[in-house]
Amino acid sequence: MSEDIIAALKENVIQGRKTIADEGIDEALSGKPGVVELTQSALDNNIPLETIIAQGLTAGMQVVGEKFATKEYFIPDMLASAEAVGAAMEILKPLLEASNIETKGKFVIATVKGDIHDIGKNIVAILLKGAGYEVDDLGVDVPTEKIVEVVRESKPQFLGLSALLTTTMLVMKEVVEALKKSGIRDKVKVLIGGAAVSDEYAREIGADAYCTDGFHAINVLDAFQKSGVQ
Amino acid sequence: MLIIGECINASNRTVAEAIARRDREFIEGITKTQVEAGADFIDVNVGAGQGTQGQAIEGMEWLVKTVQAVTDKPLTIDSDVPGIIEAALRSYRGETVMINSVTAEPERLESIGPLAARHKALLVALAMGSEGIPDTVERRLETCETILTRLTSMGMSAEQIYFDPLVLPISVDSRQGLVTLKTIERIKARYPAAKTVMGLSNISFGLPSRKLVNRAFLLMAAYAGLDAAILDPRDDKAMSLVRISDMLIGKDALCKGYIKAYRQGKIVD
Repeated sequence: MSEDIIAALKENVIQGRKTIADEGIDEALSGKPGVVELTQSALDNNIPLETIIAQGLTAGMQVVGEKFATKEYFIPDMLASAEAVGAAMEILKPLLEASNIETKGKFVIATVKGDIHDIGKNIVAILLKGAGYEVDDLGVDVPTEKIVEVVRESKPQFLGLSALLTTTMLVMKEVVEALKKSGIRDKVKVLIGGAAVSDEYAREIGADAYCTDGFHAINVLDAFQKSGVQ
Repeated sequence: MLIIGECINASNRTVAEAIARRDREFIEGITKTQVEAGADFIDVNVGAGQGTQGQAIEGMEWLVKTVQAVTDKPLTIDSDVPGIIEAALRSYRGETVMINSVTAEPERLESIGPLAARHKALLVALAMGSEGIPDTVERRLETCETILTRLTSMGMSAEQIYFDPLVLPISVDSRQGLVTLKTIERIKARYPAAKTVMGLSNISFGLPSRKLVNRAFLLMAAYAGLDAAILDPRDDKAMSLVRISDMLIGKDALCKGYIKAYRQGKIVD
């Protein structure tokens, strides 16, 4: 029974079906419970939170990420799955807070000063939430001082910087420099993303990683976790 | 519809490298193919992130001279850095020129506006302000009002302004196609003398069969009142649809433009 619920949960994440009313990719699922209903029945059947998240939600998103990488899935497919996972996390949130299960870590994300593009940043934020990170989205056109202040005050393990333009990508370097100057550069892993930046640019400015998209970011973060980031 | 050829843009790596090594032959070639394909304006963009602003300025001066050596078509100076735009205008010969672009952000409006006014340039104005791209029609129109009021006070006329309603990916928010189309309609209704322009490719970001989506959107935008499109004129199917849409919305008396294009083999099924 438990295995069936978790397998169905994972499959419905892959299909991007948030509720019983949603269409999936596979028409045979129509009219059957979606991620929200399955999450609730998983709880009703006393399936542990860790199992629901790891083997249902995260495992499903893993598959979505693979399908996106091979271009079998497109952005709307990915967003449907991420929204479904987001809805499930809303149900689980009060229980998670009451339990001792920790999130994977705190991730602060911002589009840098002078740049107001937020589509990519928003997608990354949604995916990271779905992957179990506590995400603090500072928005767009965020002044460097503000980013430094948030890193100092709320002590996230990870900082994600986004910039679309060849002009504003230069601000990422400023942020890294400002973190150094404040003596907190080694307290946080800096990830950068956006159309104009590259692996090479990440190395040049002293960021810890360049990520091509949200799924790549999840893999990079998992790699950091394995190598033991505090 | 006025066609602005978008191919000379440093966000394309091949083009950026050609500009960096001052590859005259490459730039001449890409200019000529765009003109032959029917471009009315040639957009030139040197980027700004790589190297210093001085290098970008030198790149822009070289680009303007190189492009103008092989065509009399006017250019669209594509930059939001006043220094780069000024350098381009200094190197420029000819009456008609377009600057791409200004927004309602005060620092850009106050620096690029006077430049455009002084050079009697056509000016692309993006319907956005300091808070980014508004997601509603009403708020995009408010930014247009801000821009028009300020530019006319600088001595520009509405005819010189090409409002870009802005296009966000439909893959991320399914209402965005209509937001753009309705913004075009409302701009044309409110400021009949002003023009509208937009780039096509953003609408299809994140979707399969992007070119087909772009072309369909082009037709809808033409009906909504789009005056100019920034696109790759080497896409002969898109160019065929440009001519067909002109004909279908009464901009092509006796269908002459369409038939002429057909006889030249430029209407592609």
